Amino acid sequence: MTDDTPVARPAVRWAVVSLVVVAIVAVAFAIGRFTAFGATAAPAHPSDTSADAGFARDMQVHHTQAVLMAMEIYRKTSDDELRSLSYDIATAQSGQRGEMYGWLVEWGLPQSSSQPLMTWMEKSGEHSHGDTATLTEQQLLDEMGMATDAQLDELRSAEGQPADCLFLQLMIRHHEGAIPMAQAVIELGSDPRVKEVAGAIVTGQSAELDAMRDIQSRLGCSA
Amino acid sequence: MTSSSDKRASGNPAKQAQIDLTVKQQREQKRQEKLAEYQKQVAKRKRGKLVWWVVGSTAALVVIGLVVASFAFAPAPPTSYQAGNSTGREIDGVQTFENRSDHVQGTVTYEQTPPAGGPHNPIWLNCGVYTEPQQNENAVHSMEHGAVWITYDPERVDAAGIDALKAVMPSSYALLSPYPGMDTPVAVSAWNHQLKVDDPSDPRISEFFTEFWRSQNAPEPNAACSGGVNGPGRA
Repeated sequence: MTDDTPVARPAVRWAVVSLVVVAIVAVAFAIGRFTAFGATAAPAHPSDTSADAGFARDMQVHHTQAVLMAMEIYRKTSDDELRSLSYDIATAQSGQRGEMYGWLVEWGLPQSSSQPLMTWMEKSGEHSHGDTATLTEQQLLDEMGMATDAQLDELRSAEGQPADCLFLQLMIRHHEGAIPMAQAVIELGSDPRVKEVAGAIVTGQSAELDAMRDIQSRLGCSA
Repeated sequence: MTSSSDKRASGNPAKQAQIDLTVKQQREQKRQEKLAEYQKQVAKRKRGKLVWWVVGSTAALVVIGLVVASFAFAPAPPTSYQAGNSTGREIDGVQTFENRSDHVQGTVTYEQTPPAGGPHNPIWLNCGVYTEPQQNENAVHSMEHGAVWITYDPERVDAAGIDALKAVMPSSYALLSPYPGMDTPVAVSAWNHQLKVDDPSDPRISEFFTEFWRSQNAPEPNAACSGGVNGPGRA
């Protein structure tokens, strides 16, 4: 039944063949574009109010003061172990702080926060500081284990064993403030590298806490 | 109209008529059958064409839909924000400059008042709040490290205004000091960027911090804003 075939005439057949070819090319083109979606898509970066961004900002504030205190005691201590420890703290935390700064640059987020300190930790059951809006910045800094300006002045003017002991007292409190922040981002964060660095902070600073308490008792600090 | 094989003969004329009629009818019936068959074929061909059109146009729509979808659902390209537009927003009134960043001793004549970058003293000014005017040369070094310097004309900004300025200052990498003789009551300066405003509670001041505080475009971001020199009148 040749007259039943709708593409009997050559012109019609060629038109159909070319339409089919166009369709196949179009489908291949569309599939090509779909498969490229993953490669061209903007990587899913943490948002401005995410725990990752909050940690990256607040831990920079925290590390900045640790570097300041460590540099201060490094300059004037006569205890070899404390000098090594303070050098270790200053260089390690400068490095970590630089990486945190880089995260925000890469995520296209400002270094400056639109929220009070530690607001990103509110969702954590264990590490929440409650409604951060009700606290002053100084209260928030205290809760982060940060030294006050007066304590920093005291550290600057102290000399000898009292300076060493004051440094240890301030830095122990400082580390004790950092560990819950790192634990909170491990709980609430999403970026794998952020959590990895937070894990390293928990491990590293816990070990330094032990070392500092040992030096405290060796130097006979009263605290 | 030849007699067919099945044509029977009858002596009865009536019967014969009936037979004849039946033959006629049979022929007619055959013709009808042929016609019906032909019409069926025509209809089938029509149906076949219709099916082809439906299949063809559906396929065409699917293909067009796929191509459209591959554009419509394409993800947005990655953004590459820089300090200065990290929120994708421009702040009205911010001036931008190009300044040198070398270390010098002595007094420097700056191109902007208050300075927003330029040659500076080797020692930076420790960040914080000051109640007295500061040395430009030290403060500029702090801006090189990413600090934002808020200056106010003490004759035109009262205590409430100073409190409003303190309220937008982050706890680090920020300077606040009086600066007599400015052309506006308040200036907010970062390395190579400056905003001058009349009102200490202008919302653009906090936007300026969002955009330029610890900017990656400062010459030495992450260098310290402590451990330098304390200026006079440190609060």
